[in-house]
Amino acid sequence: MRWFAGAVAAVALSLSAGAASAAEVVKIGLIADFTGAFAVWGTQFQHAIEAYQAIHGKTVKGPDGKDYEIQYVYRDNVSAGPDKTKQLAEELILREKVKMLAGFDLSPHAMAVADIVNQVKMPVIIMNAATASITRNSPYFIRVSMTIPQNVVPLAQWAYKSGIRRIYMITSDYAPGYDAANFFSKEFTKLGGQIIGADKSPQQETNFGVYMEKVLQAKPDALYMFQPAGSPSVSLVKAYTERGLKQAGIKLLGTGETEEFQMDAFNDDVIGTITSFHYTETNKTPLNVQLRATLTKLYGPKETPDIASVAAWDGTDLIYRSIAVLGPNADGDKYIDFMRHAKLNSPRGPAEIDPVERDIVQNMYIRRVEKRDGKLVNIDIDTVPMVKDPWKLENPPKSN
Amino acid sequence: MPSLSFAATIILDGISYGMVLFIISVGLTVTMGLMRLVNLAHGSFAMIGGYIAGYLTQNGYNFYLALLIASIVPGILGGLAEVTLFRPLYRKGELAQVLLTIGFVFVVTAAVTGIFGAFPYPVKFPDYLTRPLDIGFRTYPGYRLFLIVVGAIIAAVLWYVIEGSLFGARLRAAVDNPRMARAVGMNVNVLFTGTFVIGCALAGLGGAVGAGILSPEPSYALKYVVLFLVVVIVGGEGSFKGSFVAAMALGVIDTVGKYFFTEAAAYLLYAAVFVLLLWRPQGLLPPKSVA
Repeated sequence: MRWFAGAVAAVALSLSAGAASAAEVVKIGLIADFTGAFAVWGTQFQHAIEAYQAIHGKTVKGPDGKDYEIQYVYRDNVSAGPDKTKQLAEELILREKVKMLAGFDLSPHAMAVADIVNQVKMPVIIMNAATASITRNSPYFIRVSMTIPQNVVPLAQWAYKSGIRRIYMITSDYAPGYDAANFFSKEFTKLGGQIIGADKSPQQETNFGVYMEKVLQAKPDALYMFQPAGSPSVSLVKAYTERGLKQAGIKLLGTGETEEFQMDAFNDDVIGTITSFHYTETNKTPLNVQLRATLTKLYGPKETPDIASVAAWDGTDLIYRSIAVLGPNADGDKYIDFMRHAKLNSPRGPAEIDPVERDIVQNMYIRRVEKRDGKLVNIDIDTVPMVKDPWKLENPPKSN
Repeated sequence: MPSLSFAATIILDGISYGMVLFIISVGLTVTMGLMRLVNLAHGSFAMIGGYIAGYLTQNGYNFYLALLIASIVPGILGGLAEVTLFRPLYRKGELAQVLLTIGFVFVVTAAVTGIFGAFPYPVKFPDYLTRPLDIGFRTYPGYRLFLIVVGAIIAAVLWYVIEGSLFGARLRAAVDNPRMARAVGMNVNVLFTGTFVIGCALAGLGGAVGAGILSPEPSYALKYVVLFLVVVIVGGEGSFKGSFVAAMALGVIDTVGKYFFTEAAAYLLYAAVFVLLLWRPQGLLPPKSVA
């Protein structure tokens, strides 16, 4: 049977030679919701990553001069909560042998993997999960999205600067809504403004008539809303016009409710609404133009980027750059060390990672909804440069 | 402090909201009372109506034509579902009914997400319904007045049909005593299907006209089914008048509650239901068979 052993050896040899000539695969595990109520996150992440790879190619040259193929392994959290996330992370780390984790649309999902990644020192690129404190949960967390206070505080400053003095707040009755109400009112009153009324509305509220009556009676300069994207914010804007608040000269302020990819759900009532956000879809930076053009080419003219897209783009760019500098087998601490000092090349505009907090520092844009060429879009009217998460400034890290 | 005109506004708000609940739920009350079917799928027909109206109005069709089609299609679908899916369930237990009808909701939800996407899908109302209207002592949303008018017309027509026509007499007889109704030779099956069709058509209409308050979205059927069931139970299963009174009462309680106790409003409605049911466990105006 020697000929047989020889044949096997020859085949094995040729196989390994073949593998050596192709680029070595570096797997990145991406966990997000692809089905269920939050399905849109996973899809937007994936489309932006595919756009990035369509432009930059799938391989990156490592420090050793070899090509490495970056391969995303997608896992669906099926909108099933943190237990599922933990299970998926274990599977990706142990079975798929991924080098890094990415994704995480909801905050509890990101928090759920802290223990596991601490044990194996695996970098985690958080592409949404906006609860301010999250990056403190693990030294291996890097966030490329935003925090709620980061969005809200610049809006309060802009409101005061533009002459608004009396504000009524209607915020959604869940954790991000509390953060928004808390940080907005603190900043606005600190500047000398006045919060003359504040209501919390149930998370899925769609019947805003009564709230608008209360606002009308209070006669504020502006109404500040923080509502989940989708039917609550659409219904609020509708009630705002229908009840004559717009005609009464009460301005409407918000925090990213008017994302372009959801704008179809609004009608012209939404024109004039002013929101703050870290990404304006109409910005003309070359990277954003490139992202939009590629998405259109890959997925058709209706495909619109959102904050998930830019975060996935930036996260992928960070991953490419760290593999290029450190190769695929560096220690987790090394990757984190590289990433936390990185400046981002982002379609959103200037942004960098805060080396102490491993969280994003970025421009915040004040935008007004306008109609351009028959389409409702956000147009930048002001920029607040390089905002650091106010929550972290308020809660400095404990020195051990 | 609330003035008289403000009190009137709150009442109008409550009534217009109640009208939407009434239009959607009245079909459910009759089918639950008549067929003893625990039908959790009723909200899907309202949702289908809302999406059809949304699709047609967004594509430039006349609003009233859209309303018509938004009632006819769910009516036909309801009739088909009754004959093929629900009829075999009448003699099965409540568990089988709950399982099948909730499964139906999931199927419709997935279909709607597949066709129209995960975002809310608005109905485009005519311009004159989206503006505030001067009603003498103040301006008030034209849309809400429109809801009150539509609801009142439907209630009047239904009242006439149920109290004044032969069909209505048969319906009442079948609700009060289905076995006796069969015994005297009524074709209860045809009556069931007919009622189901009308109930689903009204749900579709309610979903379409009410889209400004309960906006069409994939989770609609599941999200609001509790409200519709509450109207039926508080009014008394099978009672047309009861569902009207209950819908108005719940609309007004919810609105007043939201104004005075905004933070607790989400619970207040259910507290009110709790008290009402303690007081009248069979509902406010139950039909004779259970009274």
